[in-house]
Amino acid sequence: MDFDWSDEDLGHRAEFRAFLGEILPSDWERISEGGPGSDAQADFSRVFCRALADRGWLTQHWPREFGGSDAPPWRHSIIGEECWAIGEPRGPQYMNVNWIGPAIMRFGTDAQKDRHLPLISRGEVLWCQGFSEPGAGSDLVALRTSAVADGDDYVVNGNKIWTSYANHADYIILLVRTDPDSDKHRGISVLLAPMDTPGIEVREIPSVVGDRYFHEVFFTDVRVPIECRLGPEDEGWGVVTYALQYERVGAARYARAARTLDRLTEIARERGLLEDPLVVDRLAEARTQCEAARLLTYRVIDERAHDLAPSTNSQVARVANTRADTCVGDLAVEILGAEALEYGSFADANFRLAMTAGVAVGATEVQLNLIAARHLGLPRG
Amino acid sequence: MNLELDDDQNAILEAVESLLDRFAGPTRAIDLAREAAYDAVLDDAIRESGFEQAMDPLSRAGALETVLIVEAVARRAGVTSFAQEALVGPAVAGRPIRGPVALANADPKQPVRYAAQARFCLWSDGDVARIAEVGAGETEQVESNFGYPLGRISSEVFQRGEALGAGSGERLASWWRVALAAEAVGTMAAALEQTVSYLKERKQFGRPIASFQAVQHRLAECAVRVEGSRLLVYEAAYLDAPTEASACAAAHAMTSARQVFRETHQLSGAIGFTREHDLHVWSMRLQALGAELAGPAGHRRALAASRWGLG
Repeated sequence: MDFDWSDEDLGHRAEFRAFLGEILPSDWERISEGGPGSDAQADFSRVFCRALADRGWLTQHWPREFGGSDAPPWRHSIIGEECWAIGEPRGPQYMNVNWIGPAIMRFGTDAQKDRHLPLISRGEVLWCQGFSEPGAGSDLVALRTSAVADGDDYVVNGNKIWTSYANHADYIILLVRTDPDSDKHRGISVLLAPMDTPGIEVREIPSVVGDRYFHEVFFTDVRVPIECRLGPEDEGWGVVTYALQYERVGAARYARAARTLDRLTEIARERGLLEDPLVVDRLAEARTQCEAARLLTYRVIDERAHDLAPSTNSQVARVANTRADTCVGDLAVEILGAEALEYGSFADANFRLAMTAGVAVGATEVQLNLIAARHLGLPRG
Repeated sequence: MNLELDDDQNAILEAVESLLDRFAGPTRAIDLAREAAYDAVLDDAIRESGFEQAMDPLSRAGALETVLIVEAVARRAGVTSFAQEALVGPAVAGRPIRGPVALANADPKQPVRYAAQARFCLWSDGDVARIAEVGAGETEQVESNFGYPLGRISSEVFQRGEALGAGSGERLASWWRVALAAEAVGTMAAALEQTVSYLKERKQFGRPIASFQAVQHRLAECAVRVEGSRLLVYEAAYLDAPTEASACAAAHAMTSARQVFRETHQLSGAIGFTREHDLHVWSMRLQALGAELAGPAGHRRALAASRWGLG
């Protein structure tokens, strides 16, 4: 067991930071605080990801045959950590590189691999995730969007909800029910559908989190070629489970929380607020949560690096990251007071993004259920 | 970066567990507590095992291995100042110390762990740490329910003592924090494990209490805190107890300890308060650990001072 970074990894991090210094525009912070739905962020993410791809840093953890360089998970995690710390300039593409691409590598036909993987590894495509529905959130298998085979196509009807990035996405990875007589894990299929297919309508769901943060995506007699199905018909749940194993390494939310916390401390220092020991105490407590989340996330990366089967380490890490995110988001408002109420202020932007932490990657309660069942071995209710 | 234990580390832990099978465990701890006794037999067994000589807390791997053993001893409720003798003492004094060892705040009014049995006492005096032999009649036992033998140390001891060099005061505080955090992790894990076991058996309303979701979530939250605390202390030990990382590990562990104390007792109901039920062996110790040095608030102050130049 060791907690050292190799010289190569340290060099990689330094090189990446230098790259960020060169490529980030001077108003990057404002762009990132605009949130995932903003045009400015989507536009910059395309520029950024192409530049990353040019340097071989976008999908370095992928196998060489698919545009990667077989880099170890730790190497890729450095990029993730640095990107998340500054507000994730990769935008929605971190999803493509982390789990959509790997799912296509594993289950895709040659045609699907040829069409999608080069685009993803060159940073030239945006994807969104069509999973949740109004009647299927935490209970995802209750999904009802249907896909009925008709000639060479599926005809898709239904709607997806909470879809971030739907307003800018080129493709959607879509969960549909292909067996109408099924109602659980069996009978689900995965479609890789272009977002410009006729019959797809994207509507923003206004929210207090931010502009164009959430969308509803409606499918009305949308024809998606059967050749766009990923994996076997009715066996899509296995594809999802596999993909989510990759997603388990996930977003380095702790890195963002920690950076926000340091900024918050500097702002508080400038205002003379650090004279108050209660403020200092709260800041230190938040720091411990960020650090715990960091190491728990490292443990998940380590699991991948050792090729171990996924475990509840992922759920534990997610809960810790959520706690850290929420703690820092709340603290920003508490310390900066009414100033935090102004739209677009530092505390406001961070609070709104942190607000979704317990829901964004699956409800915390589901993570706790899994920890209870699989880590603690507790009996079902 | 590699968070898996290697074969040597696993072998050491296996050997430690065999030793603890014979010289630790809740029943032994309860027996010893009747006379506020210290487990000199366990101490001797550990010394004879050769673990202490093999470990060098001044090396990264050695410090980590010592912490692994501290955690294991705490988990099995060993009544020994192993952490103070094998980890803190040598790391601060730069040489082996033959214990038992008491870590104090140079305040004769405050009860201190292992004081009544200690051969040596370590404390901070401004920037430096000091070490002194504790003579006969210089300590007095203190009665306590909190799972460790406690005593008061007379002020004469704090008048003498060898200064351990510039910066040793800070080094003492940091390694003390690492030791506390490691003991807390082992103790919390055991309290949680004992509670989980009990709640799987205990039935009310026709089903095990552990099958209720509210109970499951609270236990899961505790597990998340314990896992995070564990990795923080391992990292701090490996990195030679830097001020910030040590304070961070202790702050997180001791705050988690309070939560684990509260939750394990609340979920166990009245039986959890009884001496016949084992929970108290570990839970009460969590409070004792939390009272040491300046408590979680003190660890947070040290973290803030180190990271942000505050306090």
